Amino acid sequence: MARQKAHSLINAPAPAPAAPPTATLILDAGAHTLKAGFSTAGTCHIIPNCLARSDRDRRTYIAADLASCRDFGELAVRRPVERGYIVDWSGEKAVWEHVFAAGGVLGGVVAAETTLVLTEQPGAPAGTARMSDEMVFEEFGFAGYYRALGPALNAYAPSPFLPSTAPPPPPGTPLECLLVVDAGHSHTTVTPLYHGRPLHPACRRLDIGGKLLTNHLKQLLSARTFDVHKEVWLVNEIKEDACFVSQHFARDLERTWKHNGSPRTKVDDGGDSIVQDYILPDYETITRGFTRPHDPTLTARNRLGLGLATTSTPATAPKEHILTLGNERFVPPELLFTPSDIGIPSAGLTGTVLQSLAALPASLRPAFLANIVVVGGTALLPGLVERLRAELRARVEEGTEVRVARAGDAVGNCWLGGARMARDGGGLGRVVVTRGEYFEHGEGWVRRRFAGKGVR
Amino acid sequence: MATGPLRFRTPHIEELPTTGSRQAPGFAWVAVSGAQDDPAKNWGTSNRKRARASLGGPTDQQREALSARQQREVERKIRDLNSDNSKNAAELPIPKKEGGAGASTVARAGKTPNTKKILGSGKTFAHYLDDEEAEIARTGRRDVDVEAPTGAQRPSKTPLARRKTREESSMSGSPAPITPVAPPALPRISQALSFGETTTLDAEEEGDDAVPPLPSSAEMEALLNAPPLTYSQARSAPPTPGAPPPRRFCETCGYWGRVKCMKCGAMTCSVSCKEEHDQSKCLKMYA
Repeated sequence: MARQKAHSLINAPAPAPAAPPTATLILDAGAHTLKAGFSTAGTCHIIPNCLARSDRDRRTYIAADLASCRDFGELAVRRPVERGYIVDWSGEKAVWEHVFAAGGVLGGVVAAETTLVLTEQPGAPAGTARMSDEMVFEEFGFAGYYRALGPALNAYAPSPFLPSTAPPPPPGTPLECLLVVDAGHSHTTVTPLYHGRPLHPACRRLDIGGKLLTNHLKQLLSARTFDVHKEVWLVNEIKEDACFVSQHFARDLERTWKHNGSPRTKVDDGGDSIVQDYILPDYETITRGFTRPHDPTLTARNRLGLGLATTSTPATAPKEHILTLGNERFVPPELLFTPSDIGIPSAGLTGTVLQSLAALPASLRPAFLANIVVVGGTALLPGLVERLRAELRARVEEGTEVRVARAGDAVGNCWLGGARMARDGGGLGRVVVTRGEYFEHGEGWVRRRFAGKGVR
Repeated sequence: MATGPLRFRTPHIEELPTTGSRQAPGFAWVAVSGAQDDPAKNWGTSNRKRARASLGGPTDQQREALSARQQREVERKIRDLNSDNSKNAAELPIPKKEGGAGASTVARAGKTPNTKKILGSGKTFAHYLDDEEAEIARTGRRDVDVEAPTGAQRPSKTPLARRKTREESSMSGSPAPITPVAPPALPRISQALSFGETTTLDAEEEGDDAVPPLPSSAEMEALLNAPPLTYSQARSAPPTPGAPPPRRFCETCGYWGRVKCMKCGAMTCSVSCKEEHDQSKCLKMYA
């Protein structure tokens, strides 16, 4: 058996006569979602990067199958990407094979004719990088491969500071100075890029991401309303629907004070009330929850704030389960800016950006301060960009220009940059490693190439 | 020297007269150590609990024990927050696809020995991080910096003149930023730009605060070619000691914390929230 395997490796396509790859596939493998698409496509497909098992349905869903799931209650989710790095390759292989399958969203991927551009997060341990390289070439058999630093690809996407009427720069030209704040599921990284190349001494990472915010919201809800410890998917949806970043934390906390347990009899001032009702899905009639302005009459009888409501025709109307959200709406996202609230010894998002800038030479700082782009799933929280801008302006000296913007498509911006870079064949050709080179030089050589050390 | 009939036998006590003794009165002034007897607080109680509570709070030892427990609670909470529900979900079995039985088992296990090892390993991210830190502690950053991976232990036979200097890699895992590669002295750049004219040299050095000139291309190259930071080095540093102390919130309702529980150190905002805390949350921590 071993001899057969050895033979097959020796007879493996030493691919001298192989045809050049016809297509380039860009895969942005994140902890929450996988962004996949060919470089010729305009947008990417966003696929949940997990395997999920629903005990009620008694089915295990891989990746995009999750869209057909009807019951997300008590979903057990297995995520192959841990802290931003692909650690569980058997799970990831199942996801990739599902995505590459002939009937999948991409319309079938033939690895032997495709070049793969895979992203990885900064600060990867050598073991995970080696695993990725070996899996891509030996298991999947891609014809060419480039492992890019995730935030660096954002430099090739169009800048959000230019007006949309301006013509986009030709593909393959990176922006000159860019500070990328990637607020993702596992963590938030701050990476300054110069012509698309990262300035490593100034990269910083804050270990707070969407996952921590969801878990914190889960604990708050479990302590105050009812136990949602197993309902991670539901709490994630609640976070996406109802949470926001407050601009004045102290003022909003005053507005949502419960006045010692007495039911909220008055709706707070200003008209834009913070307190909202969240109608929970029951997975029969309502598949996805939604928010509604708070209606105290529905929950007045129940101290927990968990109400049942019927609409005007009581006989046939479905009962709604209501969750009242007060300061739970803005307290978890506040952790991004003040991690010390929970005891994490870190500086907060503004502090991390300032630390990154402090590690750059003083003359470069204004250039980067004027070009801050926020990407990632957690960047979709309303109010995050405004809060970051206000805090940075307050802490930077007067007169410097501070421009912070969220990329047009925050989740897919990294993929878009990768696709635009790949469309410029010459630029990509310089950095890609082909299968022949991998089998000839070995894995260590490939890793050093990707780190920029080797000579072409 | 009590006299009078006692039922039990007492030892014989006799006060011997000494030269200096006078007939002492029935009481004596005794020096009292300050913190102990504040009569306003104590009322001379023999109730230990009251005495303990009134004696100026917990001792240093008690305070340290309390804060160690609180610290462990905080760390446990942070670990829970970082969990991915992986306890029950990590062993989620991958469903079998329909297809050729022989082909699928080969594909499941991996095509080459390397991939077999990868697909079969159950290592988590923490393992890889530890591996990398052990590697760094043993030698320099092996994978990226060193050109020849073999023979790192043998002493080099290359004569000194022909040896390339090995890049120094930082061995500490501290999150503080490593010193930037760009040289710190900006006046030197302005010297280079001013083409050696002495008068403009002085002007440039004093005009440093106006607009510092952009770093030269050599410095930019040095910055760009700097080695990537390891996972621990890139972590955001704790806030400066001058920052305001961490804010505490009520455990029950989330408002500002004003009242601290004596037993477990948790904050609540008001009396009603504190009652709630005492009933359900405090005992769990205490026990």
